[in-house]
Amino acid sequence: LLFLQRVLLLVASDVDALCACKILQALFQCDHVQYTLVPVSGWQELETAFLEHKDQFKYFVLINCGANVDLLEILQPEEDTFFFVCDSHRPINVVNVYNDTQIKLLVKQDDDLDVPAYDDIFRDEEDEEEDSENESDGSEPTEKRRRFEEDVIERTMKRRQRREWEARRREILFDYEQYEYHGTSSAMVMFDLAWIMSKDLNDMLWWAIVGLTDQWVQDKITQMKYVTDIGILQRHVSRHNHRNEDEENSLSIDCMRIAFEYDLRLALYQHWSLYESLCNTSYTSASLKLWSVQGQKRLQEFLADMGLPLKQVKQKFNSMDMSLKENLREMIEESANKFGMKDLRVQTFSIHFGFKNKFSASDIVYATASLMENIEKEGPETTNFIKALDSLSRGNLDKLHQGLDLAKKQLRAIQQTVASCICTNLVISQGPFLYCSLMEGTPDVKLFSKPVSLCLLSKYLLKSFVCSTKNKRCKLLPLIMAAPMDVEQGTVIMVGIPPETESSDKKNFFGRAFEKAADSTNSRTLHNHFDMSIIELKTEDRSKFLDALISLLS
Amino acid sequence: SERMRKFKNKGKDAAALRRQRVEVNIELRKAKKDEQILKRRSISFRLMDESLSLGEERRNEIIQLSLEEIVEAVNGSNTELQLQATQATRRMLSRQKDPPINQIIELGIIPRLVEFLTHADNAPLQFEAAWALTNIASGTSDHTKVVVEGGAIPAFISLLSSPHMHISEQSVWALGNIAGDGPLYRDALINCNVIPPLLALVSPVTPVNNLHFLDVGFLRNITWTLSNLCRNKNPYPPLDAVKKMLPVLICLMEHEDKDIISDSCWAVSYLTDGSNDRIQIVVDTGILPRLVQLMASPELIIMTPALRAIGNVVTGTDEQTQAAIDAGVLAVLPCLLRHAKPTIQKEAAWTLSNIAAGPCQQIQQLITCGLLPPLVELLDKGDFKAQKEAVWAVANFTTGGTVEQVVELVQSGVLKPLLNLLLAKDSKTILVILDTISNLFLAAEKLGETERLCLLVEELDGLEKIEALQTHDNNMVYRAALNIIEKYFSGE
Repeated sequence: LLFLQRVLLLVASDVDALCACKILQALFQCDHVQYTLVPVSGWQELETAFLEHKDQFKYFVLINCGANVDLLEILQPEEDTFFFVCDSHRPINVVNVYNDTQIKLLVKQDDDLDVPAYDDIFRDEEDEEEDSENESDGSEPTEKRRRFEEDVIERTMKRRQRREWEARRREILFDYEQYEYHGTSSAMVMFDLAWIMSKDLNDMLWWAIVGLTDQWVQDKITQMKYVTDIGILQRHVSRHNHRNEDEENSLSIDCMRIAFEYDLRLALYQHWSLYESLCNTSYTSASLKLWSVQGQKRLQEFLADMGLPLKQVKQKFNSMDMSLKENLREMIEESANKFGMKDLRVQTFSIHFGFKNKFSASDIVYATASLMENIEKEGPETTNFIKALDSLSRGNLDKLHQGLDLAKKQLRAIQQTVASCICTNLVISQGPFLYCSLMEGTPDVKLFSKPVSLCLLSKYLLKSFVCSTKNKRCKLLPLIMAAPMDVEQGTVIMVGIPPETESSDKKNFFGRAFEKAADSTNSRTLHNHFDMSIIELKTEDRSKFLDALISLLS
Repeated sequence: SERMRKFKNKGKDAAALRRQRVEVNIELRKAKKDEQILKRRSISFRLMDESLSLGEERRNEIIQLSLEEIVEAVNGSNTELQLQATQATRRMLSRQKDPPINQIIELGIIPRLVEFLTHADNAPLQFEAAWALTNIASGTSDHTKVVVEGGAIPAFISLLSSPHMHISEQSVWALGNIAGDGPLYRDALINCNVIPPLLALVSPVTPVNNLHFLDVGFLRNITWTLSNLCRNKNPYPPLDAVKKMLPVLICLMEHEDKDIISDSCWAVSYLTDGSNDRIQIVVDTGILPRLVQLMASPELIIMTPALRAIGNVVTGTDEQTQAAIDAGVLAVLPCLLRHAKPTIQKEAAWTLSNIAAGPCQQIQQLITCGLLPPLVELLDKGDFKAQKEAVWAVANFTTGGTVEQVVELVQSGVLKPLLNLLLAKDSKTILVILDTISNLFLAAEKLGETERLCLLVEELDGLEKIEALQTHDNNMVYRAALNIIEKYFSGE
């Protein structure tokens, strides 16, 4: 990655991308590489940014965008333009994989990409046997002609083989492209790069952790993958932080220390009250069915079981009695087990800045994501991006705290919306999938016009729905969620998520299905998001689009 | 609305379309490859069937022979070995890649292979030898020469009458390759009386229906060989040979197979590519209406040679041109001027330019048939080569047209695209345009409308373009531009 020229950094709007970007920025600084950073929230912005800068730049780095489409086809770059793509979106477009000149993919070696073999999807020109009935272009006949050896059988054999090959190719590509999923976090990939170059710093490691945690919070990877990657990062953490353990007392204000922890799966609890966190964490809220009266009762019983006074539970976590906090985790876990919440403990990391400030990796994810999708407009579109990016630097505690506040609002909004959707039976089974549509005028509906918030809402809602419904078939269905996007334009944002099952491979087929349904109905859809399973759609076209989806997936 | 536009497009933009594009890419590559193959021309299917049966008989006993063994066997007296060796030779010469034509020639067995052609008692040997020699003759002139000097011309001509159809057909093919080499061998064949037995294969000549009794593949080969016998100038094929072939070619043009039609049209296009008396021979056959009809064919391989032939005819006398007009050429040309393919646009414009070079009655017919709008369109937006022809058409029009006709031309909007073409890089085209402008002014002077034309030219930014040409590198351009400026624009 030695650039002599200025580099254009195109970065998608998700926390993992921001973390990867931070690591790369630090590396660039290290090597005195000049770069320009452009945030891109979707394909349109990516295309526009490319067109605007293609004359000044030869090198483009794409973070969390670009891998899953044929970049050369979309951007039509000059031949001396090069793309370095670090993107967790899978499957990677086969053309990107097999282009060895203009497109360099940054992928972890041991990531299982399952890319079809080159010979199965591309045929070299040499193999392209002629089809002799081909239409002539009307040029003059040749003066002389040779008679070839081929005979009809050979010829039809070849044609049949070719047809079979093409059918197989379609099948292979269909299988390969059918499901969307995510590979290793881009921040982790970028950290790997830094490590290989022996330029990894503790800050970079933290960003890698946050990037991975983002994938986990957003439910983008399997539990298995998460645990594996945690293990990888844990080795780096002990490598980087072991010396501090001896000098724990000598921590200075600007010192940072990362620690591996078995922590509670309670969102933001260290910056909230335990009670609020219990109520607004998807896992606990869904398990206890907090949207119902019985659920609220169960929560009281749960707290009573732990023996925690309500007053203590409802005050700020920081202000809780130290004596209570000492064995808190164990106490909560024990009671949680009794209430059927066996997975309340998670492996994660926390960071200490100096003495005072401690954050868990998921705190940072929630805060940063909320800053990114802050709907209180301040300045141009990129303000949120820059703020979110800044909040990842350790010197920016005020931005981080602002993010935490926003995150609490977001989680509350999600929880309230989930409760009202479940209580008013807004989740409907459409046959092959569940469907829920938020009405214009629903509280916080504006927040859910943003992709990350809407996805979180969808996942929380589906979890809760699965816990609430008695219909066994419905428990296995994926969910499509729609929310108003732009009232003036008359558009909705729609997201499809895979079924909420324990063994879920987190693979999502809605991207393909949306495309097909849009095609077959001529619906006015905009497939602008880097996740193909998030689209924008004209409100009027919604019903025909859904009908097509139902028949497509039935 | 910008957003909505993207909406619509983007729906399809995503991966579905993208995958399509990948496939299109592959298709394109394939198309390129196909183009190369086409140069070698395709093979008829019936032939394949026949060789198939032959091939299958021997499939189990394909014997690998070294070149030495081939020489020995061919020169030996064992007929079985002769056949094996000849077949091995033919196989090598018929593979797709790098046929070893030179090596085979260097073995010195060509005269021997020619001799095999005469072994009437051994049809398989005749066939294999004929095929091998066909492929050698398909090479360069030197390769063809070896075959001819081996004595192949009379041998093949007598094989035309072979009782075995596949041998007769292979001979037609071989003779086509020899004729295609150039006028020398073409006339050598004609002098050896190739035409009567060749035409006899199509006989009985008269009813078109009878042609259907003959196999299409065979007929394609005959047509192609006939077209090669009509091909090439310096010298042209002998008139009496032409006169013998023409009636058959005209019959073949009525066939339903597009390759047969195409090749017979090409033959006629060769025959019309000459002096007026040669054009006259074709006109006299009364084939022009059919040619005009074929010009409108949706098949490019038919449209192209038909258009070429008619284009050639209108290079002839006014009467010959009139015959083409009477055949309806003016009704077909608008479509061709607007054709998607630049080469068709160009040929159509060239044809039109020659009609515009005719007397004012013909120019009037051109106007009446609505040729001016497509001409102006082509001048405005056509392919550059087509535009150049269109410029000629306008120039000829202004030279031969009446003042009223010229007025009509100007009213059809010709001036703007014409003046725009003054920016072309091609001096010859610029000169023709400047000439045309002078012609326009001459007409305007006659009408006392010089001022109006001046104004019009100025309004269309023509004046500044002409002025700019005064600094043109080309002396003639510079003088012509200067001349116009001095004559019509220096008053102010």
